[in-house]
Amino acid sequence: MDRPIPLTPYPATITKIVDETGDVKTFTVEFEDPQVMEEFGNKPGQVAQLSVFGEGESTISITSSPTRGKFLEFSVRRVGRLTNALHQLEVGSKIGVRGPYGNCFPYDLMKGKDLFFIGGGIALAPLRSLIDFVLSEQYRSDYGKVEILYGARSYDDLCFKSDLFERWPKIPNTKVYTTLDREEEGWKGHVGFVPPYVEEVSPAPENKFAIICGPPILIKLTLPIMEKLGFSDEQIITTLEMKMKCGIGKCGRCNIGSKYVCIDGPVFNLAQLKELPPEY
Amino acid sequence: MDTRVVNKGQLPELLDKLAQDYTLFAPVCEDETVTLFKQVSGAQEITLDYTNSDVSPKGCFFPQTEKTLTYTNTGDKLEINNVCEEEKTVVFGIRPCDIKSILALDPVFHGKFVDEYYTNKRENTTIIGLSCQKVASTCFCTAFNSGPCDGSGSDLMFTELGDKYFVEVNTEKGRVLVDAYSQFFGTQDTDQLAKAKAEHEKKLSGQFVRKVDLDGVKEVLDNNFELPYWEKVFEKCLGCGICTFVCPTCHCFDIFDLTNGLFTGERYRCWDSCMFPDFTLMAGGHNPRPTQKERVRNRFMHKLKYHMDRYNLDGCVGCGRCIAKCPVNIDITAIIKDLKEVGQNG
Repeated sequence: MDRPIPLTPYPATITKIVDETGDVKTFTVEFEDPQVMEEFGNKPGQVAQLSVFGEGESTISITSSPTRGKFLEFSVRRVGRLTNALHQLEVGSKIGVRGPYGNCFPYDLMKGKDLFFIGGGIALAPLRSLIDFVLSEQYRSDYGKVEILYGARSYDDLCFKSDLFERWPKIPNTKVYTTLDREEEGWKGHVGFVPPYVEEVSPAPENKFAIICGPPILIKLTLPIMEKLGFSDEQIITTLEMKMKCGIGKCGRCNIGSKYVCIDGPVFNLAQLKELPPEY
Repeated sequence: MDTRVVNKGQLPELLDKLAQDYTLFAPVCEDETVTLFKQVSGAQEITLDYTNSDVSPKGCFFPQTEKTLTYTNTGDKLEINNVCEEEKTVVFGIRPCDIKSILALDPVFHGKFVDEYYTNKRENTTIIGLSCQKVASTCFCTAFNSGPCDGSGSDLMFTELGDKYFVEVNTEKGRVLVDAYSQFFGTQDTDQLAKAKAEHEKKLSGQFVRKVDLDGVKEVLDNNFELPYWEKVFEKCLGCGICTFVCPTCHCFDIFDLTNGLFTGERYRCWDSCMFPDFTLMAGGHNPRPTQKERVRNRFMHKLKYHMDRYNLDGCVGCGRCIAKCPVNIDITAIIKDLKEVGQNG
C-alpha cells in the first residue's frame, strides 16, 4: 500500500446512508482498496478526516466499532459547509478518508468494569464506537454491566433509534435509559434533561467508569452530579471536539495549552482535563 | 572545524552556478521595500543589503501556499494524486535566528506523522547561513542563546569580513557542496579570518539595544493561565495577524480545495493565523478562544511556554519581526519584561 503522505486521503465509497434525525445522517463508508481497511486499524474513540472534494475536509468521529465489519460509519450533523456537502451525497458517491487519528477510549483499562455511558444529541456518535466494541460478541464477556443514558430534545432528535430500542437492549447485562427534554405525544418514556435523569438513576461508582459526551452545558451540569455520586476524576471519561484541519498535530488550531486534541486526545479523563487550561 | 574562504568578488559567480545546478532560494528585494526569500535564477536578483528579511525564510520549507494533491472525481471513479516534490535546493543567506527557527519547526513536521511536504524539502536542502553585519533595534536573538554569527543548524556558514567570506563547513551536506565547487573555496588565511570573525561577533554583541532576560518567565506562565495582565495586552491588538505572518516559527496552516471544473481540482495548504476569530470557530458556533484576549494569550503562551513544553525548544528566536511589523506596537520583549515583573510582584 503506497501512501506515505499523511495529508492524502484514501478513496472511499458511501455504501449506505441512514437518516437518523432531521439533520443527522449516518454514512457507511468502504475503502476502494480493501487492503486499506485491513491496515486502517481504527480503535474506539478515534476520528478521521472526511473529504468532499471541491469543498474540503472535516474531522468526524468514527461512529462504528472495528468489531462491526470492514467498513466505517460516520454520523454527521448538517451544521457547516463540509457537512452540508456530505449530506447532499448519495449512496455510491466517492469521498476521501484519512486517519485514524487521536488516542482512543481506554478499553483495556475498562476490562472487568461496569460502564455507564451518558450522552446527549449527536454526542452519542463518538460513544457508539466504544458501546458497540464492548457489546460485541467478541469482547462482551470482558466487561461488566453496560448502561447507556441518552437524551435528546425530541423523539425525532434521538440518534441511533434502532440501536437504542432494538439492538442494545437485547444484549445481556445491558440497559438503555432514554429521555426527551419535553413531553411528546406518544412518548411513554422519561421526560427531562439528561443531568437530573443521571441523578435519578444514580449509578453507583464502585467498579465503574462513566463515559460522558455531550454539548458543553450537559457536561458542565453532569460533572457535579457524578462527583456527588462518588465518582473519582479518573473514573470519568470524556471526548472533546475542537476545530481541526490536519489531524496530525501540525496545523496548530486544536491545542488546549500545550496538548493537541488531535493526537493527545480527543479522549481525556477528568483528572487529565483538570490539568489543562479551560480553553475548550 | 573545517573552514574555507570565498573572495567576495567571486560570490556572484558561485551563486549563478548554484542557481544553475540547484533550486536556489535567496533574499530578494521586491518593490524596493520588502525583502523576502524567493527562488532566483542568478546573483543579479539577489540582495545582500538587509539586516534581516521582512518575511522569514520558513517558506523555503513550508511555503505560504502549497499544493498537496490533485483529484479527479467523475462520480464513478475518484483518483487522488499526491503532489510532493523533491528538488535539490540551496537556501543562501539565512540569518542565525532564522536557522534556529527551522530547527524549532523540525519536530513539528516530524514526529509520529512525518509531514513529507516539509521533510523532503528539508532533506534535499543545503542551508548556507550568513552572519549578520548589523544588529537591528528589534533584534534580541542573544536572549535565546544564539547570536548574530551563530552558525548552528547551517550546513555552511558564511561571514562577510572585508573583501572575503569566511566559510565554516558545519555538516557533510556542506562539505559536499564545498567539494563540488572547490574552485570557489580557498583555504588560505582561514586562521586569521576565524579570529576576525570572533572580533566581528564581539563588536556586534555590543550593539544589542534590547536586554531581554527570560529567566523565570516560563515559570510565571506555567503557574498562571489566568493573569489580569492579558486583559491589558490584548486591548490594542487589531487581530491583523501580521505577527504570525512574519514569524519564522509560526506553523499554523489551513487546508482548502480549489476546483477548476466539475470533476477536477486541487487541494492546498496555506499559512493561517491564531489571531483570526474563525481559526478555532467550529461549524456549530462554539469557539474555544472567543475573544482577542484568548487569542493573544495563546500566541504568547505558544512562543514562551507551549513550544518548550512540547518540543523542549524555544518557540521564539528573537528575530524581532513581530515587533517591527506590529501596527500597534505590541512588543514581545516588553511582554517578557512585564511577565517577569508579574512573577516577582504578583
